[in-house]
Amino acid sequence: MEYKYVPSICSYCGTGCGVLFEVLDGRLMSTWPLKTHPVNQGKLCIKGWNLHEYITSPMRLTSPLVKEDGRFKKVDWDRALSRAAQGLKDVIQEHGPDSVGVLVSAKMTNEENYLAQKFARAVLGTNNVDHCARL
Amino acid sequence: MREKVRDLLKSGRVDVFLAYRQVDGHPLPQAFTLDNMEDLEHLVTGPARYPLDKMASRLAKAKPELKIGLLTRECTQRGLNVLATWNQLDPDRIETLGIGCCPSQLHHGADCSHLVPEKVGAHKLEIGIDNRAKPQELDALSQEERFRRWSYEFSKCIKCYGCRNICPVCFCTECSLENQELISGKSLPPEMPIFHLARAAHMAGRCVDCGLCEEACPMDIPLRLLYAQVGRIVDGLFDYQPGADTTLSPFTFLGEQVTLEIKPLEEAQEA
Repeated sequence: MEYKYVPSICSYCGTGCGVLFEVLDGRLMSTWPLKTHPVNQGKLCIKGWNLHEYITSPMRLTSPLVKEDGRFKKVDWDRALSRAAQGLKDVIQEHGPDSVGVLVSAKMTNEENYLAQKFARAVLGTNNVDHCARL
Repeated sequence: MREKVRDLLKSGRVDVFLAYRQVDGHPLPQAFTLDNMEDLEHLVTGPARYPLDKMASRLAKAKPELKIGLLTRECTQRGLNVLATWNQLDPDRIETLGIGCCPSQLHHGADCSHLVPEKVGAHKLEIGIDNRAKPQELDALSQEERFRRWSYEFSKCIKCYGCRNICPVCFCTECSLENQELISGKSLPPEMPIFHLARAAHMAGRCVDCGLCEEACPMDIPLRLLYAQVGRIVDGLFDYQPGADTTLSPFTFLGEQVTLEIKPLEEAQEA
């Protein structure tokens, strides 16, 4: 038997609440608020309380999907990325770089958000960068 | 404490012992077993409180062969008693090691995260309810005033279900709070006041006054006070204090023995 408590940070939004996963034999049993965490001080919202359910949800996407003939098909990363790159190139070529924008997220790390804006400005050539927390 | 836990594990009286371990400055629940005895030197008893009684009963259900030991405060012990009363946990499979808690002027060196509720702000004092109030103090207010103040507190609810999730004596597989026919599931704040009163009614004869619900409430609703009010009614009618021992609850209807037996009328009226 392996029974342990694993501290972590809730990834649902950008607040960064401390959570504690109860793990029995490699399976997540439940999520508890981290009582001593300075951000949430032992409290959670309904999303945080149910992290263990979405982590093990069968609805979770586990591979990239590409829409072909009106239906999503599972593909590998190389194919998905080249398809996305081609799509962006086509749009920029036809309508210019300011015809695309990049939406970043509070669920990403600072470093990922930095990379995303760099990608938008240096690669795509647009200042259209926005963030879900700037509603 | 560490020696006692070591002895319990080595002698085989328990297979696993639930206590806390200091990790990067945070006291986290930890299951100590023969395989991680070296961690025992990091064992701590507080000050954070997690519902070890609830965790033990869930572990016991998932692993019926385990003998489980756990660190108990007085509230944890009451929780274990209620779980035994309701056939959720076999007390023969449980070993407890008690620690001092519930601080008072007579009880120094106590170890509890719920020492005194934080000071309440002026706005809340004006239109809401002071979390530190005594049940008797609320009785002094008129019924309309109390209802208005409680309604304000309930209207803050963000429906995280944290009070239920952390409650050591909430063990139902189907919860009334999620029953769409009883409580409309789509509104926020949740349907008032039925959401909170349904939970309060279910706390009658069960709530062990550990205060974990209030600690977990993001909106600072004085839940401990609410359930204490319900507990007073049960105490007044049936002379029953949940968790004081493992005798049957007056609300035990299952089986052949109905235990609902009220006090003589005169006494109940006085209460």
